Amino acid sequence: MVPDTLKKRKLLPFSRKVLLFIILSLGVIIMVTPFVWMLSTSFGTVETAFSLPPRWLPDLSNLNAYKQLLKSIPFLRYMWNSFKIASIITLGQLFTCSTAAYAFARIRFKGSNVLFLLLLSSMMIPLQVTIVPLFILMRRLKLYDTHASLILPVLISAFGVFLLRQFFLTIPKELEEAARIDGAGHLTIYSRIILPLSGPALSALAILAFLYFWNELFRPLIFLSSLENFTIPVGLVMLRGQYDIGSPTRLMAAVTMAVIPVLIVFLFAQRYIIEGITLTGIK
Amino acid sequence: MHIKKSVGKLAKRENITGHLFILPTMIGFLVFIIGPMITAIVLSFFYWDMFTPPNFIGLDNYKTLFKDPHVFTVFKNTLIFVFGVVTLNVGGGLLIALALNRRIHAVFRYILRTTYFFPMITSVTAIALVWNLLLNTDLGIVNYYLGKIGIPRINWLLSSRQAKVSVILIEVWKNIGFYMIVCLAGLQNIPRQLYEAAEIDGAGGLQRFLYITFPLLTPTIFFLVIIGLINAFQIFDMPFVLTRGGPGDATRTVVMYIYETGFRFFNMGYAATVSLLLFVLIAALTLIQFRVSKGWVFYR
Repeated sequence: MVPDTLKKRKLLPFSRKVLLFIILSLGVIIMVTPFVWMLSTSFGTVETAFSLPPRWLPDLSNLNAYKQLLKSIPFLRYMWNSFKIASIITLGQLFTCSTAAYAFARIRFKGSNVLFLLLLSSMMIPLQVTIVPLFILMRRLKLYDTHASLILPVLISAFGVFLLRQFFLTIPKELEEAARIDGAGHLTIYSRIILPLSGPALSALAILAFLYFWNELFRPLIFLSSLENFTIPVGLVMLRGQYDIGSPTRLMAAVTMAVIPVLIVFLFAQRYIIEGITLTGIK
Repeated sequence: MHIKKSVGKLAKRENITGHLFILPTMIGFLVFIIGPMITAIVLSFFYWDMFTPPNFIGLDNYKTLFKDPHVFTVFKNTLIFVFGVVTLNVGGGLLIALALNRRIHAVFRYILRTTYFFPMITSVTAIALVWNLLLNTDLGIVNYYLGKIGIPRINWLLSSRQAKVSVILIEVWKNIGFYMIVCLAGLQNIPRQLYEAAEIDGAGGLQRFLYITFPLLTPTIFFLVIIGLINAFQIFDMPFVLTRGGPGDATRTVVMYIYETGFRFFNMGYAATVSLLLFVLIAALTLIQFRVSKGWVFYR
């Protein structure tokens, strides 16, 4: 009986199937086209940038826009800056969030519930509330226009603590009991048992943090002022400001250089990225 | 006695260890979140341009807040964005997830999942720069291809009404993949047997959706609505790059206004005041959502 009804489900009406296919494919075109246009424009010439219909096939030998870009601004340096800042923040968050999450998941200490709730509710505080005081603080500390001003305030993350704690709670306690009987302390259990078992959660946090700070615009725009300190997004905004629609090829060359590293990482690590992001969605 | 004493000692040690483990987070929390939060509240009672000493002005910033026509505009714009972005992202993401959850070819599913998801991890700045050119009224390819199928030119970024719609659509274009992925995970968590049982009972597609899929997906949808709300209230990058808040003030958001007030016009106290209003709004809406959720979210 069951197979019969299941068979019926498999045979969707043909017309509906075709319609679904067309709609979904149209979606794919809408998602992909901007990237293809970006790529082909970056390899084009200023004259052909606005030709309609557009030239879809990029002439990969024409690197003029890229040469111009690298001559006019230190874009490779911006890429390095973004990479450095995002990496340090990610490593810092992995450390601070995992230790705090371990404490909230495994150690009994005074005020743990209250502190955890306090930390959680701070997720509702928008970055913009703290930005003015942070700006003042960074000037006082003589850190204005340094990468440290971007890194220091976000070495911690309430979201990260929450994410990791939820994951640590799912690890069976029996695993630690044997170690505990052998006299292992919390530091050993944290580093030898909990961390090695938390790969998916740790990589989820690392991926989310890295992407967020690689792409971040708001704080770098406020905290950085010297050209050589800029990150990719600030560099892009500056390029737009200077040339506006004037040199679309150079602008698209810059955008391509910002997007391609993410695309490459995504194609290789897609499974982990999607798993990681899914993990944040399931409590 | 002896045992009691050592148990007490152990608990004390446990207590100290716990505090040591959370120490890095707590230091950061106090210095970079709680401290600045309190400072922002204090600042809201001052006029300060960073160059001259701060000037205590009592409630003047708050009075200005309610008279400032810009504040009304930017909050209105932001609320329009929040509503549009959250509804379309959650609704659209759910629809795509439902479509992907059917029996479709694995390769096709892979292509769909990859392409729909990819924009989510790229930078808003980069995306906005591309779309800015694509949506150009005379030279952009969007109007060109729409013209091919007989749709007259649209002033995507230049009319105040359309510019709002464009910001919403591109925000959705960029992030819908996230909503789709999370919904898909939620759908795959629903036990198969429920559908099989429903089918034996003769439930149709719509009934299966209304009585199984939707109720079991409500926690996921609730999570997405909360995340979506908090993010959408802080929209900055997209209008800042795509339209520069224009035309006029049509796409200026609260965060853009805070940025301009504080870091272009150096009115620190007022910027802090506007940001506090934003915080109150986000906190209130989140709490209301949690309250209301008890009525519609179904936890297994």
